Amino acid sequence: MAASTNAHITITDEFAAKIKAENTKARITRIAPMLVLLALVLFFSALRTNVFLSIGNLSAILNQLAIPLLIAMGLTFVIMLGCIDLSIDGSVGMAGSLMSLLVLNTKNGNHLGMLGVVLAILASVVIGAIIGFIYVKLKIPSFMVSFSFMYICMGIAMLSYGGIPATITDSFLIEVPKIAFFGIPVITWVAVFMFLVAYFIQEYTAFGRYIYAVGTDENIPRMAGVNVNRVKILVFSFAGLCFGIAGVLGGIRLGQGQMQIGIGTMFPAQAAVVVGGTALSGGKGGMLNTLIGVLIITVLDNGLLLMSVNPYIKTGIQGLIILVAVALTVTRSNKIIMK
Amino acid sequence: MLNTFNSSIVKKAVSKKNVMNYISFMAIFILVLVFTAMDSSFVNKANLKNLLSDTAPLMIMAAGMTFVILLASIDLSTGAICSVANVLVVKFLSIFSEKLGNIYLAALLSFVLALVFGAFAGLIIGLLSAKLKMPSFIASLGLMSVWKSVALLITAAPISIPKKSWGAISWFNINFGVIGFPLILAVLLIGFFFVLQSRTVFGKSVMAVGGNERAARMAGMNVNMTKILAFVLNGVCAAAGGIFLAAKLKSSAPTVGDSFTLLVVAAVVLGGTALSGGKGNLLGTILGVFTVSIIRNGMNIVGVDVFWQNIVFGLVILGAIAITTDRSARSLVIK
Amino acid sequence: MEKKLLFKASNISKIFAGTRALKGVDLEVYEGEVVGLIGENGAGKSTLLKIIIGVQPQSGGEMTMFEKPYEPRTPRDANSAGIGMVFQEQSLIVNLTVGQNVFFGHEKDFRQFGFVNWGKMYKATETALANVSCSHIPARKKVLDLNFATRQMVEIAKVVNLTRSSGHEHCLILLDEPTSVLNETEVQQLFVEIRKLTAQGHSIVFVSHRLDEILSISDRVYVYKDGENAGNMPTADATEERLYEMMVGHSTTTEYYKLDQQRKPEPDVVLDVRGLGLKGVFKNVSFELHKGEILGIVGVVGSGKEDICSVICGDEHPSFGELYVKGEKRRYFSPAQALRDGVLMIPKERMEEGIISGLSINDNIALSNIRLLRSGPFLSTKKMVKQTQDWIKRLRIKTIGKDELLASLSGGNQQKVVFARALCSQSDILILNHPTRGVDVGAKEEIYGLIREMVKQGKSVILLGDTLDECISMSNRVIVMCDGLVTGVFDAPVENKPSQVSVVSLMM
Repeated sequence: MAASTNAHITITDEFAAKIKAENTKARITRIAPMLVLLALVLFFSALRTNVFLSIGNLSAILNQLAIPLLIAMGLTFVIMLGCIDLSIDGSVGMAGSLMSLLVLNTKNGNHLGMLGVVLAILASVVIGAIIGFIYVKLKIPSFMVSFSFMYICMGIAMLSYGGIPATITDSFLIEVPKIAFFGIPVITWVAVFMFLVAYFIQEYTAFGRYIYAVGTDENIPRMAGVNVNRVKILVFSFAGLCFGIAGVLGGIRLGQGQMQIGIGTMFPAQAAVVVGGTALSGGKGGMLNTLIGVLIITVLDNGLLLMSVNPYIKTGIQGLIILVAVALTVTRSNKIIMK
Repeated sequence: MLNTFNSSIVKKAVSKKNVMNYISFMAIFILVLVFTAMDSSFVNKANLKNLLSDTAPLMIMAAGMTFVILLASIDLSTGAICSVANVLVVKFLSIFSEKLGNIYLAALLSFVLALVFGAFAGLIIGLLSAKLKMPSFIASLGLMSVWKSVALLITAAPISIPKKSWGAISWFNINFGVIGFPLILAVLLIGFFFVLQSRTVFGKSVMAVGGNERAARMAGMNVNMTKILAFVLNGVCAAAGGIFLAAKLKSSAPTVGDSFTLLVVAAVVLGGTALSGGKGNLLGTILGVFTVSIIRNGMNIVGVDVFWQNIVFGLVILGAIAITTDRSARSLVIK
Repeated sequence: MEKKLLFKASNISKIFAGTRALKGVDLEVYEGEVVGLIGENGAGKSTLLKIIIGVQPQSGGEMTMFEKPYEPRTPRDANSAGIGMVFQEQSLIVNLTVGQNVFFGHEKDFRQFGFVNWGKMYKATETALANVSCSHIPARKKVLDLNFATRQMVEIAKVVNLTRSSGHEHCLILLDEPTSVLNETEVQQLFVEIRKLTAQGHSIVFVSHRLDEILSISDRVYVYKDGENAGNMPTADATEERLYEMMVGHSTTTEYYKLDQQRKPEPDVVLDVRGLGLKGVFKNVSFELHKGEILGIVGVVGSGKEDICSVICGDEHPSFGELYVKGEKRRYFSPAQALRDGVLMIPKERMEEGIISGLSINDNIALSNIRLLRSGPFLSTKKMVKQTQDWIKRLRIKTIGKDELLASLSGGNQQKVVFARALCSQSDILILNHPTRGVDVGAKEEIYGLIREMVKQGKSVILLGDTLDECISMSNRVIVMCDGLVTGVFDAPVENKPSQVSVVSLMM
């Protein structure tokens, strides 16, 4: 019995060692995004020192990341659940288009001002809630539900302005893109504010903790009495909120409401979330990770632009980033089936 | 009593399997009636010819996608592969026409190269999914953006096929009454794929892996090879769709395939193939393709805003999936 | 001093889709005591615990807590009644902190103006940790960064805290195999904590397969066998031998296991396992499988017997050791590769890994030998159908036809389909992982006959039996595993089968 007990200790130790090795790997994965960001900054600084590090360029980066950050933060909670939301292009474009038709504009007589902005954002929230609801109740995978809604939202957007986009004539809204506090435009401030809200939700509310729990193994919170379905639907609704805000800000910035506001916004956001370290499998990552991820994507974009790289390559590179980041973090077990 | 017990089980098995097919069949019937009632030109010869020739690229792409969905996977990059193949074909056609002088040879070479690209694109997803165990939706999503970029880099603007080369694509316009040659080709291909599905090791493997991947693996089936082959087939079909579009429109555009992904998935799901895998067949896909085609064409004829199409197809897909999904998999956690 | 009755379960039965997991068991727990619960696999221990904690309802029988009727519908109900459980599988959320886990689901107790006052919660966590002498565990640390022993203590702190917040003076804590991830020292530390808890009047139900631990920590011991009470006694009166005897069933008739058909294996070695190991699961496993032999492997949950099978059949990759199949050294990366050498496993979980319920009997039987059914480039429907109908007849599979979907067959018939598939597959080294699980008695007997038939034809079998009796009776030799190591090998010839007691003693 003694001999077997000795060796038994060894097996337990082996097991403990295995867990330790996994944790070390996890720790490396945690700092990797920051190293990547650092590497990028150094790279571009070296190549285009004067231009890249100029105040003008750095503030441009700061402004460029506002809308992608908004979208990515909404997406982050979804991915922390282990799900995905592909409706972004449509939801963002829809919010922008609807807003432009609800405020004072060149196409109709509406003059709802801020109410119009809020209603447009609400539309995206509702879409998010519906996506969450269908996913939860009909048990259709989130990628498929959100994929369908991308097209549905695009359709709604295009229908709303019937091919000819509305130009915003509301005097306040026209001024908004030009207002700045401490040199930073209002739009960026909104993104910062929402980021703080999202971070707060993540760290200081029970709901934020529940997201981690559901993403890790939804049976655990379910047995503890948490309403898992409600958590999921709320997460998708919050994503819709972020997409909606991004959409209306995009419309305000453009001065016009059209579907194009949303086109192409999904890839940078997906890339940002995964490269920042939030794993697709769920249960880990968070807002700070996404912030780093958005910085990486924006710096990369900016750098490539300064290097006069063909702009069409941008999306392709983001796609590659998604592939590499996911390939590095996915679980290789044969027993868990990922489809 | 045993007999009625037996027949009721059989009836249940049959009806559950084919609910979607009945619906599609009825839908086609009703839609044709409705569209004709709204605008009788729907059923005139010119429109039918148009509708059927529109159906060909869709049919061929849905053929490949059916295998992928049967495997309980998805390929969101299908449209992008189609676009790349589309621009490649036209580009190669002009290059090889110059170099070789013979447009038929040039055409053949261009088609083959486009198909090879499709196979290559499918191979990448297959490897990512099988060997790296990446979920297919994210692998194909990432590749979709890569191929989109590639298409735009090959040509940012549409290119037309020069008139002198039109001989090489004249086969596309051969007609038998209202039915065009490409459609016949596509239907034959689906027929061939159906044989593949029901009478080959590959087909049985696809149904097994899609039905229960773990069980298929434990029974000794080569799961990786099955997945890779299915994605390669889909890639080839997507490329073939791109070739069809080039021949039909006598030009290429880097975004031509973008809208097709949604339509192709809709067609496969309407054909009764469940997203959860292991259920459905290629003959159903024929039905699904026609349903999609009729909706599209009908809406155009009747004058419905093209913008409605996105909404309609988005909702239709969700409805079809809701009907065909196997919800009895209780222990499975859906994400 | 008269001890008060804390918890009582009377005549609890539980039926799952045709199988009776519990046939009317009793359990009484008094205040301030540790009750040990032992029994073989399938005896019903985990099932009872799950009923007590409210994860699943009983099919019959009553429970009382504090002598009042107790009918929990969810684990939360159980917690409010003063009962908590530490499950065998870790239920902590690794990316959250210790404190967030301890109070998971109860954050509203710390809510202020809509958000959670973590500071307040961490203070409460420190108190909770101190109550189980775990003040050394930092309340703000992520569970991810803790080792398993520490995680276990956090689980215990969480459960103790939950039950005590219910407001009851004395609580009941259920521990299901709490020591499986702990080393010697950590086990002793756990025991110290348990004694402290009982000194305060709380009670513990301690389930473990390690008899020495049970004898050391518990005040009374209950033995369950096959879903029934096999007896209970104060630990002071218990000895390992007595307990073993109570745990094992009586041996069933020789006709049931077709003992008369047991044959001597041939001398050829078809499978040679040398020093096989899987990190953290099993170690130093070596044995030989002979042609025509039925080699049984027995062990409780966590013994590693199932993982050995996963490795041999190609599903998992070993960390150390070598595998020789028919004399050739082999490394398998998938069951498909193993099948090429004739090695095939019939998996334990029929629904998840054994059958494809959406496909027909015809398709399911052909899964493993599909390549052999070709004629030209296509499959021969004729060959497939003939094969299917042959096997339906031979194995007496009750079905309306070859095209019936597996989903509508009974468990026993589904298993017969799996056997048919294995037998068509031209594999001659078969690993049968709990082949009679969830199968009715009649079908079980047919399967035993089938296994005897298989080895008669020269195939070799590694058998993981559903019960100890089954494994000993069916096998030529029995390997005993415990906690990842081989603890014994028994010869089991027809005339001299080892007693279940002697085998069980090496399993724990």
